[in-house]
Amino acid sequence: MSVFKDYKKEIMDAAHNERISLALSRAIKSYRGNTNQALKKFPHTIQMAEEVRQIKEKAIGEMEKLAQQASAAITENKGKAYIAKTADDARNIIDGLVGKGKLIVKGKSMTAEEIELREHLEGRGNEVYETDLGEFIIQKLGSRPMHILSPAIHVPKEDVAQLFSKITGEKLPADIATLVATARKLLREKYFKADIGMSGANVVSADTGTLFIIENEGNIRLATGAPPVHIALIGMEKLVPTLGDANKVAEVTWRYANYTVPSYVSLISGPSKTGDIEKVTTYGAHGPAEFHVIFMDAGRTSLAKNPILRQALYCLRCGGCLYECPVFAVTAGHFGDKYFAGIGAVWAAMLSGDVEKGAAVAYTCLTCGRCKIRCPMKIDTPEMIVELRKLIVGDGAQAAPLS
Amino acid sequence: MSKGTKGLIPPGLAYIADNFTSKGNILGASKGSGAKWAKDLSLPKRSETIFFAGCGYQYSAELEALSSLIRGMDKSRIGAESSMGIATLGKKLGVDLGGVYRRVAVRGSSSDAQPLVDAVRVLGKLGVQFGYLAEDEPCCAGLLHYVGLEKEFSQNAESLYSRLKSLGVKRIIGIVPSCTYTLRTLVPHSAPGYDIEVRHFSEVVLGKINSVELRFPKEAKVVYHDPCQLARYLGLTEEPRQILRAIKGIALVETEWTHGEWATCCGGGGGFEAVFPELSQILAVNRTRELLETGAKMIVTHCPGCILQLRAGLKELKAEDVEVLDLAQVISMSM
Repeated sequence: MSVFKDYKKEIMDAAHNERISLALSRAIKSYRGNTNQALKKFPHTIQMAEEVRQIKEKAIGEMEKLAQQASAAITENKGKAYIAKTADDARNIIDGLVGKGKLIVKGKSMTAEEIELREHLEGRGNEVYETDLGEFIIQKLGSRPMHILSPAIHVPKEDVAQLFSKITGEKLPADIATLVATARKLLREKYFKADIGMSGANVVSADTGTLFIIENEGNIRLATGAPPVHIALIGMEKLVPTLGDANKVAEVTWRYANYTVPSYVSLISGPSKTGDIEKVTTYGAHGPAEFHVIFMDAGRTSLAKNPILRQALYCLRCGGCLYECPVFAVTAGHFGDKYFAGIGAVWAAMLSGDVEKGAAVAYTCLTCGRCKIRCPMKIDTPEMIVELRKLIVGDGAQAAPLS
Repeated sequence: MSKGTKGLIPPGLAYIADNFTSKGNILGASKGSGAKWAKDLSLPKRSETIFFAGCGYQYSAELEALSSLIRGMDKSRIGAESSMGIATLGKKLGVDLGGVYRRVAVRGSSSDAQPLVDAVRVLGKLGVQFGYLAEDEPCCAGLLHYVGLEKEFSQNAESLYSRLKSLGVKRIIGIVPSCTYTLRTLVPHSAPGYDIEVRHFSEVVLGKINSVELRFPKEAKVVYHDPCQLARYLGLTEEPRQILRAIKGIALVETEWTHGEWATCCGGGGGFEAVFPELSQILAVNRTRELLETGAKMIVTHCPGCILQLRAGLKELKAEDVEVLDLAQVISMSM
């Protein structure tokens, strides 16, 4: 039970940290207000979410086929595509592309987080910059993300000022605009010096091999646009059949992530090219000459076989459930592993294969079910948690789903 | 994922699950001691329609004693650092847990079981014919399902169904949200041929409420707290509110966002309080604070677990002028 003991201590320390509850209570209020407004302005989103659930249900059953189809499309677009069966395979493929001693600029990616890619690349002598502001703060703090969309949700501005003062050697005020400008200045030159830009994707259309990447900061446009090489690591559950499907997934994702519309959506299907001189196609015009996409399985196809737990793969990562979880409201991402709260237990036990951590997280879920009310995919987390607990205690495994 | 790792069930839950299997209820109290609340009500012990009292209200005094004890241990960090089960830990600390329940039980849990007495009175006044199985009432053992002990739950579900059938039960009026959901949805899944109709107290009452005039003894600003299982599992959010709105003297107010299906859990869900007692109390305080923000001086809810949690929350927030009542009590007081 030592994993549980350590975990319980971590949870309780977080629950006693008033800064976490304070930061979260503000975030929850603003999330609910923004999302309700966004849904009111675009009421079609609710029906579109039902459509997306059907798209995902079908796509999750045919992830391997879609990965092959997407790979073929990307190859046709003159990019390179890979299918990684395991997390190790994914790291090996990336090692082969990256080598050592490179400068890498990286967009925020939960899939990269899942396989601890940044730490891995740094360990091999590469210099990696997280370019998402929240993720940059987390990286510099030597901490781990506490929310899937707002990784530094638990860090107040005073702490950021202190951190940035240390990095720059100047005394910076706890003024948010100054801090944002400081990050911009610190990272700006890195994009243009970098050997490689890395990203994930929110959804990928298999027919055209198009990556949809949703963001507001603009760091991903720079990270995937400025360096000569772009490498994307993508979980296979992000694949849907068509460009039209992907559009719907993207819109539902950002709306439930509390945006009417995000500032940027990048659609990337291949390397940068031009035919402007004598109609000769030449790669690497302004953007990357090389475009590599790794579709990672790492337990997803086997998870898809469990009729109840496969719901975890429908997740769009909008983060809405986290704002509705009463435990998350006082602990932030300490209630979780690589992914957070109830659904995070499924990822910990089934994908990371860490059953003890998965069990600890699974028994932290209240099974209160408010996350399900928020979820655009209507993922039944309490049902998944009970199923996971059954698997953990080895009782009645593979019980049929309740109707 | 490897299977068969019962050691991964956190200690508090393992203790409760053990009680289920060995004593037939969550606290390990002796069989039949729970039925005391009904001994003067002269309810028929056999009827096609029965009132299902469940464990929660009957043992709420014991539950309260147990949770304050566990919370004390949890706060002292002994619980957090110990890998032993709660029962063993109790012994080691010189606390006789069994004794705690017995003492509380002797002191009489009648006031905690008041919602049951009131529910029975309300149903009677509304002309509903029903019986109560008393010490023959089986435990629904829903918690086994939530702990993950599905085999044990299924076995219990089958024997529960055959027992109810042999007692001639055709319809159940449930009151504890979790027991009602278990009997309505979970048990049928494990007991083939299950044909018992299960309705919740609030549904039965709402169907007959027009026949009586209801007036609360005083003017009261009331906020209703939706129990998770009632609101999100059984889908009963409007029924309790319609009942409250039908009572003269009660002004129903709502929390800003967190009501109905969006209600915040009191922190007592799914055995959580046994695993994270101290965290459970923090959540109880948070929920109570949301309810108090409405300015209501009375919190009405409809679940024994929520009542305990919210009372603990009020105590912590030193809101002595606010009371927590069960919906059944409020209806009974208004008749």
